[in-house]
Amino acid sequence: MKKSNKIYTALIFVFLYLPIAVLILFSFNSSNSTNSFAGFSLKWYKELFSDGATLLALRNTLLLAILSSVIATVIGTLAAYGIHHMKNKHIKNTVLTVNNIPMMNPEIVVGISMMLLFVFVGRLINSSTTLGFGTVLIAHVTFNIPYVVLSVMPKFKQMDRHLPEAALDLGCTPFQSFYKVEMPQIISGIISGFIMAFTLSIDDFIISYFTIGSGFETLPIRIYSMTKKRVTPDMYALSALIFLSILILLLISNFTGNSSGVKEKKPVTLKQKKRRRIVFAATFALIAIITGAVLISTATTETVVVNVYNWGEYISDGSDGSFDSNKAFEDYYSKVLSEERGHKVKVQVNYTTYTSNEDLYAKIKSGVGGYDVIVPSDYMVERLINEGLVQPLDLNNIPNYKYIKDDFKKPFYDNGEETYSVMYTYGIVGIIYNTEYVDEEDIGGWDLLWNEKYSGHILQFNNARDAFGSAMYKEGINVNTATEVEWRNALNELKKQKPLVQSYVMDEVYNKLESEEAWIGAYYAGDALSMIYNNENLAFYYPKNSDGEFATNIFADAMCIPTGVSEENKKHAEAYINFMLSEEPAIANAEYIYYGCPNTLVTENPDYIEYLGEDYDVIYDSDIEDNIDTLFSEYAYRNLPTDKLALLNRLWEELKVDSSSFNGGIYIVSGVIALGIVGFIVFCYVRKVRRRRLYWNTTPKTK
Amino acid sequence: MNEKKIIELKGVSKSFDGELILDNIDLKIYEKEFMTLLGPSGCGKTTTLRIIAGFVTPDCGELLFDGEKINDVPPYKRSVNTVFQKYALFPHLNVYENIAFALRLKKTPEEEIYERVEEMLTMVNLRGFEKRDVNLLSGGQQQRVAIARALINKPRVLLLDEPLGALDLKLRKDMQNELKNIQRKTGITFIYVTHDQEEALSMSDTVVVMANGKIQQIGSPTDIYNEPENAFVADFIGESNIIDGVMLDDFKVRFSGHEFVCLDKGFGKSEPVDVVVRPEDVDVVPVEKGMLSGIVDSVTFKGVHYEIIVTINKFKWMIQSTDYVAPGQKIGIYVEPDAIHIMKKSEFSGMFGDYSSFSDELEHLSDVTEEEE
Repeated sequence: MKKSNKIYTALIFVFLYLPIAVLILFSFNSSNSTNSFAGFSLKWYKELFSDGATLLALRNTLLLAILSSVIATVIGTLAAYGIHHMKNKHIKNTVLTVNNIPMMNPEIVVGISMMLLFVFVGRLINSSTTLGFGTVLIAHVTFNIPYVVLSVMPKFKQMDRHLPEAALDLGCTPFQSFYKVEMPQIISGIISGFIMAFTLSIDDFIISYFTIGSGFETLPIRIYSMTKKRVTPDMYALSALIFLSILILLLISNFTGNSSGVKEKKPVTLKQKKRRRIVFAATFALIAIITGAVLISTATTETVVVNVYNWGEYISDGSDGSFDSNKAFEDYYSKVLSEERGHKVKVQVNYTTYTSNEDLYAKIKSGVGGYDVIVPSDYMVERLINEGLVQPLDLNNIPNYKYIKDDFKKPFYDNGEETYSVMYTYGIVGIIYNTEYVDEEDIGGWDLLWNEKYSGHILQFNNARDAFGSAMYKEGINVNTATEVEWRNALNELKKQKPLVQSYVMDEVYNKLESEEAWIGAYYAGDALSMIYNNENLAFYYPKNSDGEFATNIFADAMCIPTGVSEENKKHAEAYINFMLSEEPAIANAEYIYYGCPNTLVTENPDYIEYLGEDYDVIYDSDIEDNIDTLFSEYAYRNLPTDKLALLNRLWEELKVDSSSFNGGIYIVSGVIALGIVGFIVFCYVRKVRRRRLYWNTTPKTK
Repeated sequence: MNEKKIIELKGVSKSFDGELILDNIDLKIYEKEFMTLLGPSGCGKTTTLRIIAGFVTPDCGELLFDGEKINDVPPYKRSVNTVFQKYALFPHLNVYENIAFALRLKKTPEEEIYERVEEMLTMVNLRGFEKRDVNLLSGGQQQRVAIARALINKPRVLLLDEPLGALDLKLRKDMQNELKNIQRKTGITFIYVTHDQEEALSMSDTVVVMANGKIQQIGSPTDIYNEPENAFVADFIGESNIIDGVMLDDFKVRFSGHEFVCLDKGFGKSEPVDVVVRPEDVDVVPVEKGMLSGIVDSVTFKGVHYEIIVTINKFKWMIQSTDYVAPGQKIGIYVEPDAIHIMKKSEFSGMFGDYSSFSDELEHLSDVTEEEE
């Protein structure tokens, strides 16, 4: 019995901590593969500390966590004091319940409601940028307060209620009584509340995501936004460091005060108290030092700020000794402005990131504002132009526009009289296959994804538009103008394909293909090349349709300026766009992003061509280059009308749910479990009533 | 006793949540007096104490200190200190720091603090305990620290809220003596709250008996015992037989169907009264020599005496006697005129003084439970 107990406990710990152990192990991996451990190395830690943007996000997170937890601790402690001294028990209980609600409330509700409130108030006071550091700070303070109250309240309850009276009696003013007598009794609650608030604040993603504004990015948001590209192992290193710091904080909080009442019954000796006081002082000293350092580092002179909102991992950011495009712009533009204005002007790029066009759209549409440069994809540019959410560019301020290849100057999404966008990158979907397992004669078209020979080793997009796209390209259906019948045909193709598919994936495609778990999958050219770099058995081609024409998705991301940006800020934003088109940053970005670049300064640069080597011919495949026009006009995804979007979602669901006995099984199992629980409750209740029946009415009710 | 008034309550009332706790209290407290507020739980004695300490503000009435109204003076500005029921020592401070607390607030020089703390420790027999952790002291030791802490400020008045309630019997007796000695030595006015009538009688100069938010009687311990003002006081202090009677004339009272000579006068002719006869003042005599006679219900041996319950005219008398009588035996009783005490009828008439049940004992048991504010 005892042995089985031990094994059970061990199992629980393995389940809880194995993932973290693996994470820490891989943070020391000398290669960036997630499949094998190539050797011990501190490379990722080094890289982490040379990554300016991540460090900035870390600094922001710490600053936010410290400020919000300190403020929340002060407010929460005072609130607990107030609640504890309430005379009316009903009001007291009500207030405590109200205090608990925000903790039960889903974070998404808190986040959205906060954002609405801030935007609403911002409109009322006519402020152009409502969301920012202040709002996210308020949000963090708000969700931290209940936790502080909850951890301080029991300490008040444990305290002898005559203590404050004794203090008053001996000559303390009420304030003296609070800090000389009551504080020492509740201090352990305050510390554990503070630590809890601190860790919650560091950890928070959802609420921050909704209430954060331009120019400010916390670590969780930064990590999350990296999903456009791959999460790099320096994030493992960062996660390992965060885990360790939280572990240390928890140890401190356990050391200072155990909230379990059982142990507290034993009188706490003065020696323990003294030790706690030292820990307390050390904690606060540490916090004070960090806050001070952070504040000093943010001292400013006259500053011009350019707020850039881009995809994660979508600019050369100075990591690994590379070119830091934003920094370079700051230096360059600061020089330009200082000369122009005759005094020193500091330029600051606030660079924040998003993960999907829809996120970007929501931010722009909701009017939280504050972004000067955004980088939406093709169909989203079209939508933003149609809805008047972006403004025409003054090409006189962007002389480098002339370096954009002519084919990319008037793309389908922005081909009116005015120019609203400057293309940043483009990418083309191709098929990656493993040469060890896939016969050369089978490649060439989309039908490779439907080839029964490779059943169980095929990957399909886990994204409705892309998955249907692959079927439509194969069947020669126009992805933008398809009729309902054509959509249904595509669905049938996907249903046919389903038994062959190993899984529906997005970013997991890297691991699956590199580890040879799967052999065939479709993804963007630049990403395909990085997979080939990791596994030389992989190869790539651009698929053609039955007519021998290239038929595949092309996307473009383009720089735009939102409508709300003022005349002056627009000039700065245009300067930024222009700078990104100049030789050095454009090449650095293209090398970093590894997608196609529309800039002739880049594509004709010998160093760049040399850097890409064989890959150059893949990304700038001459056959594809000749067909760019057709690809854009025929095969790029356009913004679908709402009825088609709804149809697409319905069909996608049909595909995912259809004949999937596994999912049905889950429903049945959950149903059985729920019924079992209900049955058990009913059984217990009936038994209780039956037992009572014998005596309940026979014994007199009065004592 | 010094006759200078130090504290006076004039028409003080207080209610909590619509419940009247104190009803028009008038009370004078003199310098160097040891005054006890005595009464069952819920009688308002603790509230009275808390009003004097300043933790409770009276709804109406005046609280005078040296003739000045101090209703709105906060506790920390009153020269009154309190010893709390559960001591309320500061758990984060050691013995020395607890006692020094009040002086530290006044920024007294360290040397003086040291001297006075040592003086206090000597007084309460706790020398050598300076560095002890208060959480690890015994109840009696914590009690002494609490007294020393309250006295170091040299208050004019020391308030003690059932300070011995949590101690065991033996320790309580010792502490009673010690408190009385400290009071004599320091000459500080003590206001002492208790529900223990024996404690009240043995320690106090003046006893204030309270019930239902009113003062029932103020007097010296002997007055309270010998001349109770109403049935409540008579019953609460010691044991009493309280019988309905009629005052026939001065010095003449009739009860239990018999006329008695007594020492009381000044009542109206034929006025209904309560007659108190203490059980130890009743003599057991042969039936033919008795003024009254009845059948013995039960006899309990109590050590010094037997407690005999006798039914006379349907009323159960309690008699304390050193002679044994057998249950069922018919006996006569004899009462001296000075053993009869006549009281006016009051709201408590008929509620106490009959030994037909043990409800009285039960009530005493429930008294031990802590008094709520």
